[in-house]
Amino acid sequence: MDVLFSLITVFAQASAEEVAAYGSDAGKAIALGVGGGLGAVGAGVGIGIIFGKVIESVTRQPEMRDEITSIQWLGFALTEACFFYGLVAGLIAFFL
Amino acid sequence: MSTRRKIVLAIVGFYVGSIVLLVAIFGFTRRDNDEFKPQEEFRLETWFSLPGPLDFNKAVFYVIVAGLLTVGSMLYIANRMQAHPNRVQTAVETIYQFMRNITGGNMDDRMARKWFPFIGSLFLFIWFSNLIGYIPLPTNTHETFEVFGADIPAFAIYASTANVSVPLVLALVVFVAYNVEGIRAKGLFGYLKSLVPEGVKGPMVGFIFILEFVSNFMRLVSLSVRLFANILAGHLIILFMSGGLAVLLGLEVLGAITLPAGVILFVFEVGLVATLQAFIFATLSAIYLGGAVAEHH
Repeated sequence: MDVLFSLITVFAQASAEEVAAYGSDAGKAIALGVGGGLGAVGAGVGIGIIFGKVIESVTRQPEMRDEITSIQWLGFALTEACFFYGLVAGLIAFFL
Repeated sequence: MSTRRKIVLAIVGFYVGSIVLLVAIFGFTRRDNDEFKPQEEFRLETWFSLPGPLDFNKAVFYVIVAGLLTVGSMLYIANRMQAHPNRVQTAVETIYQFMRNITGGNMDDRMARKWFPFIGSLFLFIWFSNLIGYIPLPTNTHETFEVFGADIPAFAIYASTANVSVPLVLALVVFVAYNVEGIRAKGLFGYLKSLVPEGVKGPMVGFIFILEFVSNFMRLVSLSVRLFANILAGHLIILFMSGGLAVLLGLEVLGAITLPAGVILFVFEVGLVATLQAFIFATLSAIYLGGAVAEHH
């Protein structure tokens, strides 16, 4: 690790403090990107499954539509919240 | 060409034209702005101190306004009930029926009668808190502008539910309520025993018990963070899309590019997320309360 670090300082022609500062900035940006991006991937898949299943079940049993709609919004909100857990963790890492 | 098509083409043309115009005037260079800090929008500046450890700030202001709206609007309608309802009364009756369905669908009749006022006021309070959060009010005392020599706080959107403490307190009330209700219905040991689902046997019982016991506390976290994170992320993304990014990067054309997304997200947040989060919070509270006293877990 030390060898890698000194190599980076030589190549970048920067002082050790500068490299550490860049590393800290990059880490924050990566945290926000991963928290927001990967969170959106998982929640996107989940919301897609929910709405796909709702369409499927409403076409099978149209008379159940009202009941299914209320469950659909419950599932949508519960899944969507998972995206915000990741995003908020990323924002905390970025700003605090 | 039909009229609708002309309107759509005119809007798209205006959008593209304004982007080209802004690039032509200001160029496409990025000048990072270090003075504007987006997190300052959510900082709570003390307006005045109250006796004890209490401070009055904009979050407290929003909580009080939401509470007054909840009580005031319902009392106003309740005192003016008519046999032939006007439009406002019909709307309130629809909301009332909606709240009846939340409690009635998730608890038995006795529990629903007992807990309907709690779940109903929880729903209305969160709903009003979320909705008044999207009205720009002069509450940002951190930034001021001058009108005829008087310092006016900048107009800002802020919701008390975008601060983790308000949803956490509401979630704590629900947490205490359903645990107490469960212990009253089954006794302490009966309640702890009912945490384990039926049909679990042998050494798995201890493992499942610990899992369910911890997940009880996770409900506290998920209930509060879900509401808080939804509203906070909604406000942040409205802020960024409707000009915050352009100010942050010092890139004028970005404001014109992202403004339509800002308007669409604003409508999405007001129309869906504000109501949906209040509905989810009330529904989950009702499910937890109903599940705590139900015979079979």
